[in-house]
Amino acid sequence: MPNPRKPERETITICAYCGVGCGFKAETIGNEIVRMTPWKEGKANHGHSCVKGRFAYDYWCHPDRIKTPMIRDSIEEPWREVDWDEAFAHAARELKRIQGKYGRSSVGGVSSSRCTNEEIFLTQKFVRAVLGNNNIDNCARICHSPTQFGLSATVGAGAASQHFDSILQADVIMVVGANPTEGHPVFGSMMKRRIRQGAKLIVIDPRRTETVDSPHCRADVHLALRPGTNVAILNSIAHVIVRENRHDPEFIKSRCEWQEFEHWAELVGSEEYSPDKIGPVAGVDPEDIRRAARIYSTGPRSTIYYGLGVTEHSQGSTGVMCLGNLGLACGMYGREGVGVNPLRGQGNVQGGSCLGSWPHVFSGYRFVTDDATRKSFEAEWGVELDSEPGLRLPNMFDAALTGHFKGMYIMGEDPVQSDPNQNHIIAALRNMECVIVHDLFLNETSKFAHVFLPGSSSLEKDGTFTSAERRIGRVRQVVEPLAGYQDWEVTMKLMNAMGYDVEYAHAGEVLDELARLSPAYSGASFELIDRVGSVQWPVNSDAPEGTEVLHTQEFPRANGLGTFMLTGFVPTRERVSDQYPLLLTTGRILTQYNVGTQTRRTANSQWHPEDVLEMSLGDMQTRGLRDGDSVTITSRFGSTRLKVVESVRVNPGVVYTTFHHAETKANAVTSDLSDWATNCPEYKVTAVEVTKVTSSKQCQAKTSVTRPAQRERQVEEIAVVEEVST
Amino acid sequence: MWNEVRGLRDGIDYGTPPRDGEPVTLTVDGVEVTVPEGSSVMLATAEADRAVPKLCATDMLEAFGSCRICLVEIEGQRGYPASCTTLVAPGMVVRTQSDRLAELRKGVMELYLSDFPESEIPDGWSEFHRTLEEVGINGHRYGKGRNHFDLPVDDSNPYFLFDPAKCIVCSRCVRACAEVQGTFALTIQGRAFESKVAASQDEPFMESECVSCGACVQACPSHALVEKSLFPGGYERAKPT
Repeated sequence: MPNPRKPERETITICAYCGVGCGFKAETIGNEIVRMTPWKEGKANHGHSCVKGRFAYDYWCHPDRIKTPMIRDSIEEPWREVDWDEAFAHAARELKRIQGKYGRSSVGGVSSSRCTNEEIFLTQKFVRAVLGNNNIDNCARICHSPTQFGLSATVGAGAASQHFDSILQADVIMVVGANPTEGHPVFGSMMKRRIRQGAKLIVIDPRRTETVDSPHCRADVHLALRPGTNVAILNSIAHVIVRENRHDPEFIKSRCEWQEFEHWAELVGSEEYSPDKIGPVAGVDPEDIRRAARIYSTGPRSTIYYGLGVTEHSQGSTGVMCLGNLGLACGMYGREGVGVNPLRGQGNVQGGSCLGSWPHVFSGYRFVTDDATRKSFEAEWGVELDSEPGLRLPNMFDAALTGHFKGMYIMGEDPVQSDPNQNHIIAALRNMECVIVHDLFLNETSKFAHVFLPGSSSLEKDGTFTSAERRIGRVRQVVEPLAGYQDWEVTMKLMNAMGYDVEYAHAGEVLDELARLSPAYSGASFELIDRVGSVQWPVNSDAPEGTEVLHTQEFPRANGLGTFMLTGFVPTRERVSDQYPLLLTTGRILTQYNVGTQTRRTANSQWHPEDVLEMSLGDMQTRGLRDGDSVTITSRFGSTRLKVVESVRVNPGVVYTTFHHAETKANAVTSDLSDWATNCPEYKVTAVEVTKVTSSKQCQAKTSVTRPAQRERQVEEIAVVEEVST
Repeated sequence: MWNEVRGLRDGIDYGTPPRDGEPVTLTVDGVEVTVPEGSSVMLATAEADRAVPKLCATDMLEAFGSCRICLVEIEGQRGYPASCTTLVAPGMVVRTQSDRLAELRKGVMELYLSDFPESEIPDGWSEFHRTLEEVGINGHRYGKGRNHFDLPVDDSNPYFLFDPAKCIVCSRCVRACAEVQGTFALTIQGRAFESKVAASQDEPFMESECVSCGACVQACPSHALVEKSLFPGGYERAKPT
């Protein structure tokens, strides 16, 4: 066949990978996807793509996919394939039996940021309206929770202030703890385009990433700080800005709480944060701190993009506040080309947080304890709702161990792999009587499940995703669901089997209901998205086609003003010592996505067959290591084995690895400290020692007893709203 | 700058990037059309629904002016300017069709075709094939001459392949890698007949600095860079004729 076959049909949908949310055309022949091409009208990607979205889609029809529902009476028994009706009936019977025996609160559910908005919404409806309690959580509590907390505290909204292509109007781009060209490649290309047009670039990252130096893209300042010193550096930048009168008093006076500014200026302006003091602490040249401060404050349009390198620290929330403070102090809010923007990891990470998969809040972060809010949901759903906040995910597992929690609906999550305390989770699951897993593949958690409901990939269903720029876009069904049902239908039918009568003709009706009950989404509908392509929330009567730039007039705080949080630097307790003289930090690579359940089932693994440890030449020589040697990395928490490679990207004293392969067990080593405010784990700083593997016996990767081996970490999420409101 | 990304439309190729600018009105084949200042004549012809044939131009890339297919006549200007590199001006009068233009375009297309496998002409659906149709050519005019049919196919990348036999050296892949992706992994190596697309230091794609974003494949007008998934039984190279 010399000429390529021609696709018959194309369906416009959204990439299921990172938080950029690229529009794609899925081209098909019959029920076969023959290629994915970037959609020119995609408002995040404008016709561009990366190796994941464009090519790594074959996981959807991987032989590992489960296509038939399965049940079993106990986890010792083999799975028994059944038809859907029997699976629903069995699940419903069990949940009812459990609630009859152990009480209404003995069951609950969990959803995922990989699901659509509609599925997330329906899952919480299932728990609240059908199970009759608020035991609903979103497994992804960790990772961008400091964003919600830190940005809410300063500017009132824990979300990106801009749209992605606002960067095309920026004069100064500051990237903090992120590597867009690997983690968010399509946005990275946009950023590089702007840098080629002359924008200045400041990078704050321990590693000399591709963002720092690549063809026609070089950082004007790179602060290669010692891991764990973000807050010190950001305060020192603020110090220079305040001391040199580079802040924007007009903006602060009109848009912010002036008194709070003065308190903050006093703190950061103190001698403690002078570049000459902080430079040696952070391992950077004081002059570079001054240059960064001068460039950022000069603008005139300076924007900040940051990633998990800011949040995953014991002072993660403080780091985010530092960024909010900086933006406010220099008047870099409320117009094109400025702002403070988190780069998020998962396709629907923002939606996952907005839509009420939390034990204490409905969609839009409104409390279940609030009578008026609850009444509006009761009117829509026709049942009385529980006013008591439910259990968080870890508490559900705790309650299972004490025998008070017996049944669970787990949609698109794998807590056994992803939760910090694996043995604890397994014991809890073993103590339950009905665990329902709804997923594409069998996973670690399904080993302890009684019902397996086969899920549908984003190529097999309808719905919406909300990307990192608050953009709500349409996921459109490209091929027939392999197992027969779209995920939202499965949840709906489970509700029906439980005796709750609800019928949606299509996912758009779920979005309509969600819109009626969620202020920021009130104007969203399939019709609107079909007409305008995609919309950024808030989308409502004031903004019928959505809102691109937030905070143009006022900040969504009670008095409408932005405020300054005091951000004293408190070093992490995780320190280097004679025994653990190196600092380990972690990150991502372009071709793999998160823990790799999807990308490792594609040819993308040809680029990144294993995780390796990057180390500077000097550190290797002092340990007698050569490129490619197997090494043991040991921390106070555990150890694992990797191959070491010489790298000029890391400074002496710092080592780096990725976490895409479960065998790496990188998380067996990382520190168990976490953010003071939100408990987001401090994955970015761990003191370690690296030694050469000498005997084959040592080759077995050892993992700590107290630390689980395989944690899906860096699963992003933003909302831990309790902390925000209290 | 804004329109360059936001003005793009699915299913339409304006040939050069949409611009932001004050409105400029001109006439294309008697049709009055208004486009932003800084737009190319090519973009204006597309807006007037009188699009000219093209090969090296596409609206996600800056104009390059190499293929010489998009020639037009402009009143008051000598010769046959390339519409992609000529900017619009108020009151400009553009003609996209004439016997002389048809002859010129045909001549150029025939030269391109002389180094393109003849067996690949029927059933093709690339932009190159569409352009052949637009210009009105359906076969080789010249006898067997020098060609690039013997250069090896690069199928090192798991997702796409590069067949130099079908490459027309329009540089769209090279420019996409630079302008859209920003990686600068591709170049045109050599001169004249020897010129060819090379990844990094003439390495296989998989071993080069290529990040496999697909921008070059998206930009290629002749299916020389093409997704492997479109060849379910594997890629079978055209037989030299």
